[in-house]
Parts: sequence; C-alpha cells; structure tokens
Amino acid sequence: MSRALDVGGRAVAVAETGSGAPLVYLHGFADIHGSSSDWLPFHRALAAKVRVVAPAHPGCGVSEENEEIDTIEDVVFHYLQLLDALEIGAFHLAGASIGGWIAAELAIRLPERVRSLALIGATGLFVPQHPIADIFMMVQAKNGGDYSDFRHTLFRAAGAPEALAMFPDGRMPAERELLRYRMFRLASRIGFSPPYLHHRKLRDRLHRFTGPAAVIAGERDSLVPIAHARAYAQGLRNAQLKLVAEAGNSVAVEKPGEVAAAVLACVGRAGAASAVEGRDNALQ
Amino acid sequence: MHPVRLFCWHFMAYPYLPSDFDARYDSGWVTVPNTLWDRERAGDLYQGYIDQLVYADELGFDGMVLNEHHQNIYGLMPSPNIIAAALTQRTKHGKIVVLGNLLPLHRNPLRVAEEYAMIDNMSGGRLIAGLAIGGGPEAFNYNVPQPQARDQFWEAVDLIKRAWTEPGPFEHDGKYYPLRYVNLWPQPRQRPHPPIWIPGALSLETMEETAKRGHDYFLSSRAHGPATQRAAQRFGEIIRRHGGEFHPFRMGLLISVYVSESDEQARAESREGVWYFIKNTLKGHLRNHGRMLTFGIGVPSMTVASYDSFLKNARPENKMLGDCDSWEELDQFGSIIVGSPATVRKRLWELIEQAQIGNFLVQFHFGNMEDRLARKSMRLFATEVAPALRRDSADLFARSFPALGDIAMAGAAQ
Repeated sequence: MSRALDVGGRAVAVAETGSGAPLVYLHGFADIHGSSSDWLPFHRALAAKVRVVAPAHPGCGVSEENEEIDTIEDVVFHYLQLLDALEIGAFHLAGASIGGWIAAELAIRLPERVRSLALIGATGLFVPQHPIADIFMMVQAKNGGDYSDFRHTLFRAAGAPEALAMFPDGRMPAERELLRYRMFRLASRIGFSPPYLHHRKLRDRLHRFTGPAAVIAGERDSLVPIAHARAYAQGLRNAQLKLVAEAGNSVAVEKPGEVAAAVLACVGRAGAASAVEGRDNALQ
Repeated sequence: MHPVRLFCWHFMAYPYLPSDFDARYDSGWVTVPNTLWDRERAGDLYQGYIDQLVYADELGFDGMVLNEHHQNIYGLMPSPNIIAAALTQRTKHGKIVVLGNLLPLHRNPLRVAEEYAMIDNMSGGRLIAGLAIGGGPEAFNYNVPQPQARDQFWEAVDLIKRAWTEPGPFEHDGKYYPLRYVNLWPQPRQRPHPPIWIPGALSLETMEETAKRGHDYFLSSRAHGPATQRAAQRFGEIIRRHGGEFHPFRMGLLISVYVSESDEQARAESREGVWYFIKNTLKGHLRNHGRMLTFGIGVPSMTVASYDSFLKNARPENKMLGDCDSWEELDQFGSIIVGSPATVRKRLWELIEQAQIGNFLVQFHFGNMEDRLARKSMRLFATEVAPALRRDSADLFARSFPALGDIAMAGAAQ
C-alpha cells in the first residue's frame, strides 16, 4: 500500500489505493499520516472511483524530516519534486486542513497540471478579523492530559466519538504520540509564524487557478472560520462552496460520504470540461 | 582555593494577584490578562527588587542573577539588561549574571552582543553572559517556530562570540542572520570575552553543543537529587570527549532557599510567598494543573528522537515542582529548601557533595514575599550558611579536582 520515493535524497512515504485517474491527496492533522497510519473511510470512498495517491508531508508519518523546510515555499518546492518523481502528468488534487493550504499553493503554481482542486477545511488564507485558531496552544493538554480543547479545535465538538477515538485524553501509545508530534513539527515549521497556518499573499494569487474547484468546510469549524471557505470560493475562478452541517474542521472524518461525494463531483466537472476542450488525452 | 560560588537570583515576580487567581485563570503565562496589573502598587516594584539585589552584593554574594521572560507573572524582566545596567551603577563586587538573553526572540543577535559589551564595560568586567534559547511560553510570546529554534540559537551564539573576539569588520554569512558588516563597538571589557553560560534542562544535545564550544552549562531543571549528579557526570564526560577539562565551575544550578531561625519559623514566614510562587507563578510553566506551555507537542523544539526518549522516560503522572501540595512533597522534590541554617546547610552540602557543581544560583524571593522576609533569609544565609559551605566545598573540590588550582577559569571563577 505504501512505498518510499526519493526526493532530494530523503525518503517520502506515499500511500496509494484505488484505480483510475490519479488524485493526489495532501493530509491534515486528523488524517492518514497526521494521526493515523491507515486509510480512513473518506479515502476508501474516494478510492472507489479514483486512484488516491497520498504522500506524507516531510517529517510526517514515515517520511524523513527535512531540516531545511522553513516556509510554505519550501514545502511547495518539495512537492514539485515529488510530483516529478511520481511521474504523473496531470492529476486531481485535494487537501485537508494544512494539506488544503499546500494544495492551494500548488494549484496556483501548476494550473496546467492540476485538473481539479478540492480544499477541505483548508487553512492558508489571511482573512482580516477572522484569525485561524491557535491549534498549537490547544494541543497542549490541560491538567496533564485533557485534550478536549484540541478535539474541539479539530472537530464539531470535543465529545464527538470520532474525535475521542482519534485524540483521547491521556497519553496514547508512543507510536501514535510520535505521529502527532511529527505532524506538529511540520505545522510549526511553516505555520507558527505568522500566527497561524497561512500565507498572506495566497489570497491574491488564487485567481491563477481556473480549473474546477470545490471548497468544503464544516459549518462548525473551530480552527478555520467559515469566512476562509468563502474567501477561497470567491478567489478561485471556478469554485463551488459546500458547507457541511454538524461537522468541524475534520469534516472528512465526520462526514466521509458527503465530502467524498463533493470531491468526486469536482473531479467529474474536470472530466466534463476537458472532454469539451478535447484535451483529456493530451494530459493523461 | 576555589569555594562554591553563591549567587542571589531574583525573578521579580508580580506580587499583587487576586487571592482567587488559581481558581480563575488557566495560566500565569502568555494569556494571563494584563488588566491584573495594578499601576499604583506596582510602580515601585522594580526599585524594591533592585534594592534587594544591591543588598545581596553588600552581603558578599558572588553575584546577582537576572533572566528574561515575557508576558507573565513569574518574572517581570522582558529585558534583564535594563536591570543589569542599573546594577552596574549600584553594586561593586559581585558578578552580574544575565541568564540569559533569549536569542531566537531577537531579530539580530548583534544587539545582544552590543548590550552585553556595554554592561561588561559599565560594570568593570563583571558580566557573565547567559545565552538562552527560550521555552514554550516564549515561543508563543514572540511566535518563534520551535523546530528551527535550536539551529538558529547556535548560529546566534557563535556570531556573538565572534563579534567579541574577531577583528572587525567581518562578514557573517549565516542562514538566519546574514550580515555584511560585523564590527562591534564597544568591545567587551573581559578578554577574550565575558564567560558564556548556556542554560539547559538535561538535554544531551544542549550539553554536547555547549561542551563543543567550550562554554559553561547551567542546569535550569527543577528536578534535583540524583538527576543533578547524573547531569554533572554526563556533562563532564562530554567535555572530556571534546578534549576539555571538567571542573565544578563549568556548571551551575538553580536552587531556592528560605532560611529562618528554626524549621518551623522558616515555614511559617515563607508560607505565603512560597505557595504563591508555586501555585500562581508556576501555573502554565511547571505545573500540570491548568495549561502547561513549557514543553510538548505544540512547541516541538525537541527532535523526534528526543521526544521519543522523553516519552519513554517521563511518566504522565510525574509531578512537576508546581504540582507539589505539601511541605513534605516540596522537601522530597529538593528544589526549594526551607528551614533553619543547619537544615539548609545540610541539604545544600548534600547537593554539593553529590553533584560537585561549583555555581549555586539561589532564589531567595518567592512570589509575593515581603521585602523584610527576603532580606532576613538572605542575611541568615550569608552569615550562617554560606561560610561553612564555602570552607567545606573548597576542601572537597581541591581533593576531587587536584588540577583545579592551575586551571584558569576563563574569567568565570576569578
């Protein structure tokens, strides 16, 4: 299921499932590589229709850490190299939370290769008066092991069963603690300053991506205010906004079927568009 | 003869919190609302605290210790250099130990090199220059990304030392602080440079990097006892591996003390200040109750390998200093020693004998402790505890480190 690719002399773990057109999936916190070593129901739903290619960010999962990564630009360049190593020409792109940010940054740089873009609870934008929450402070347990604030940041509610299963109170087995630690090392490298998890210039660059886009967010997102989803939908030329009820930032974990359907609909829009333009084969 | 050196450390806590602070607030750090600052009463705070440090100098302490913290109630010195400058004018004898300036919080470490050089000149060469990386609260205070902070820190340390020792102007082509002109005016008074102390909390990485450069190590951990001895042994081994010579004055440690006529009286007099210090000022820092910001996933400065071994060694139920709830627990913890001169002498002697560390940085003022009590404790310590410790430690160090008499201690022990 997972293989290691060499990117600039460092091993990058890439998980794959399903068959069909490739969809590169960039993970977030409550996600494969971020907190789980396995696929989640959401990914399996996508894999019924497309080939899901999910690399672990540098330093996350079993990808080697890259001490040279300081900014989002460094991560984007890492992915440009990884995409070359993957040897896929055109591809669909989706990302969740911090992975959504990276996906958006990639799409504006590679508009000709990204066939469709799905942003799920994406961080990445600076929206005045609507700051992204301080997930770094919230992941510091209260009273020695209470992670309810962290769960509340990432899910519709601290007591949501999916949240409790993924991030229970107290200490988890070392393997899972380390998975989360690695995820926060990466997030901290690129998203601790400016606070938090955004790139101020991204918003004005979104217009460069003209392909079909889906902007998906949980209505009860406590990490990324809904204003960000609206800003993404406005900035991307050809975006559809989908707000999902009873879900938070980890909307793909909370409502896997609904979110997978929205992503696949966006993939379908790209198919229809390229059929019209007659460039489908050229880009495969 | 080289007796143990006894310094007086002042944190300069905010002493006017409401009595229900612990019940109402998660943390005394970063998010503690500054509406709790009482302008009227706090106006004289710095003056009073500086006076206490001047008193320490008069009592014959080997030096005064200051450090840098931001946006918190534990220590009100965002710029310890300002207090150090004041001490240059009001003290005559003791070292001025700034432990330290938090380098990753500064946009340009040359500013630190410059201010330290000024303090060294203004004090007649009495500066001990602490260079520190900062912990979790400081990461949040100034939004310093932690995975890169160590790398950034060591570049700054090396740049400061070069600026003090190499003829300028020269170019520094570092990753974090590229500078075309490094040409420090003034140069520090001490040659080759003021002693450099690097604080660390038991991490081998910090000991390694400190030893490699020939700097001295200050153990900032609050876990005393066998851990202190192990740390001294490890640092000694690392120094020798790098071809250096270990002796007690290559290391320092932090300890807190309250001395009064009897054990009972010491507890009675220090009760309010000590527990204010533990329950209020350590909340958010070294206490599990509330939200501890000092280390962890949100401020991931440790490498993955270090975090892995941290998880293996530190049990989640382990208590920190701020989790102590009784005098008995405090006694066991060994970081705050409250008692008669005989008790304090005995406990400190045990530490000196076991760990053979030569620099004891002693906190006397706790939280909201009254001025007269802090002074009383300092006075009793200076007259009834320090002389015996100095005498006995000089003998001990001479026996354990026969070469000590010949070692020039880079200005630090002069």
